[in-house]
Amino acid sequence: METGELLSNLALGFSVAVSLQNLFWCLMGAIIGTAIGVLPGVGPVATMALLLPATYFLPAEGALIMLAGIYYGAQYGGSTTAILVNLPGEASSVVTCLDGYQMARQGRAGPALAIAAIGSFFAGTVATVAIAVAAPPLTRLAQQFAPADYFSLMTLGLVFAIVLARGSIIKALGMVFLGMLLGLVGTDVNTGNTRFTFDIGDLFDGIGFVPLVMGVFGIAEIMANLTNSERRDLVSSKVSGLMPTKEDLKRSIAPILRGTFLGGLLGILPGGGAVLASFSAYTVEKKLSRTPEKFGTGMIEGVAGPESANNAAAQTSFIPMLTLGIPSNAVMAMMIGGMMIHGIVPGPQVMEQKPGLFWGMIVSMWFGNLMLVVLNLPLIGIWVRMLLVPYRLLAVAILFFCCIGVYSLNNSANEVLIIAFFGVVGYLFMKLDCEPAPLLMGFLLGPMMEVYMRRAMLLSRGDPLVFVQRPLSLSFLLIACLLLLFIVLPNVRKAREVAFSE
Amino acid sequence: MRIKSGQDLLTGLLFIVVGGAGLWIGADYPMGTAQRPGTGVLPYILSWCLIGTGGLLWIKAMLAEGPGLTGWAWRPIIMITLATIAFALLIDQGGLVVAMLVSMTLAALGTPETRWREYTVFAVIMIVIAIAMFIKGLGMPIPIWPTQSADWIASGLELLRGR
Repeated sequence: METGELLSNLALGFSVAVSLQNLFWCLMGAIIGTAIGVLPGVGPVATMALLLPATYFLPAEGALIMLAGIYYGAQYGGSTTAILVNLPGEASSVVTCLDGYQMARQGRAGPALAIAAIGSFFAGTVATVAIAVAAPPLTRLAQQFAPADYFSLMTLGLVFAIVLARGSIIKALGMVFLGMLLGLVGTDVNTGNTRFTFDIGDLFDGIGFVPLVMGVFGIAEIMANLTNSERRDLVSSKVSGLMPTKEDLKRSIAPILRGTFLGGLLGILPGGGAVLASFSAYTVEKKLSRTPEKFGTGMIEGVAGPESANNAAAQTSFIPMLTLGIPSNAVMAMMIGGMMIHGIVPGPQVMEQKPGLFWGMIVSMWFGNLMLVVLNLPLIGIWVRMLLVPYRLLAVAILFFCCIGVYSLNNSANEVLIIAFFGVVGYLFMKLDCEPAPLLMGFLLGPMMEVYMRRAMLLSRGDPLVFVQRPLSLSFLLIACLLLLFIVLPNVRKAREVAFSE
Repeated sequence: MRIKSGQDLLTGLLFIVVGGAGLWIGADYPMGTAQRPGTGVLPYILSWCLIGTGGLLWIKAMLAEGPGLTGWAWRPIIMITLATIAFALLIDQGGLVVAMLVSMTLAALGTPETRWREYTVFAVIMIVIAIAMFIKGLGMPIPIWPTQSADWIASGLELLRGR
């Protein structure tokens, strides 16, 4: 029954994903994703925010397939830059620099790139199946959720976002509260009262997610990058001999398997995702290695593990979004934004009401991964050439795309002013070493939590004990408390600091 | 007492100021009842949480050694912000070409590394791509050239185009 269901679901997804139109959008997503992955300073979040308005003109399936492609495509592209230029194209490929670039300097860029691609492809394939297996039971579970359960689950999500954020926990906590407050700006849907709008008409609908993200990530990023003068040491020798040796392959199998498993697991956690996965995988490989002192001198294990892990995590982070409608990171919030544009309310009902879209998107991820292997290995020369575009020009282009992207949302020039404001705010956050990811989580989940809190209170006739009387809700809250207690323990805190400082 | 981390102190100040403002502005939002929580409940709770977090950071700034404040790179901040504002102010009346030229040039002024000949070629290419992509391709309702309310510029452009 279970396997039969799985197969018929995948068959349905296959039939949607294989249509010429959807294959095209999948390819577009993969290409755009690789391109922005290769370029340092342009991330998937800002790119997806930019393209969000344009997806309005596409069919829903095509739009979501393309947006998903950008995310996992960026993981592939990021590793290329890390290996060849010693610059992480994405935050998730920071650790790939360590051994990947050393391999490139020894003339072994080809095998490093090939192992990164093979590992990513394997991880992507496994993660696709994992999503397909995990989605139906989780969806069924989610359908039994009462408002109180949702509220507590989101509380847990925010606690995860705090625990998994880099840097100070207190700052992350403050950023969550700040984000929730920002999320409340606008008209209160339940009562019709306005909050924190300062009588500015454009704020009555609240602060848009896209202008906020573009400001904090896009504009602030340009300001920071223009400050640092760039230095790129491109490995000048041609990438020759892509094929890894038998020895390379043999050494990579176990790291790829471990990376896939670890990444897949960490990807599901809210606030986790690809960055955490690649860091943890590197640490694990180093711990398990018989020659840990050789890490950092061109060990292929140090490329295979993290690269598999970040791709697996990028994909399994779709699970909470698809089944519960809860974004586990900023990228998933953009996916939700993409769904909303097409009038789809994310949540457990999507799988039942739009099975074609749901399964089509999942199966398209596998196609996307296949395309990426094909795209990345032979075309590596083209991607490397892209790095020759200097940042001084890229900055100008990115700024323009941010402006026009936000403007095109509602043809509103005032929303462009909002990104100017949040650009400065984002820069301030960088200077204060406050990570914006928890802020974004609070901004997204805050208003949702208020809705569920009110529903729960209404159903319980004003009895706040409802949150601890339902077993599901109680267990979410207990896990959240345990996590918070756990993280305050001194030795756990020390371990966390070590893990994040690579 | 000596301040041991300027960064923590300023972050704490930011949280406390925003939380305080939230309490002050939200003071007259209705609280509702337990069964029907009103508009003011969450702002009240969150503002206090934010102030509490800021207070914790202040204590930490006094007790634990931490990073201080580093200087701001004013040039890119000011120029990039001005570039964004210029785009917002010009796009509706000035049209895409004027908005792009002004905002991209302001952005290019944000870094001393800009090479002006290279930038000029790049800007022209960007404008052509933008017109093709956003106005011709996606059909966005943005004027290419300045609209009538700015006709002195428009008539100047007409002259330039030899009409």
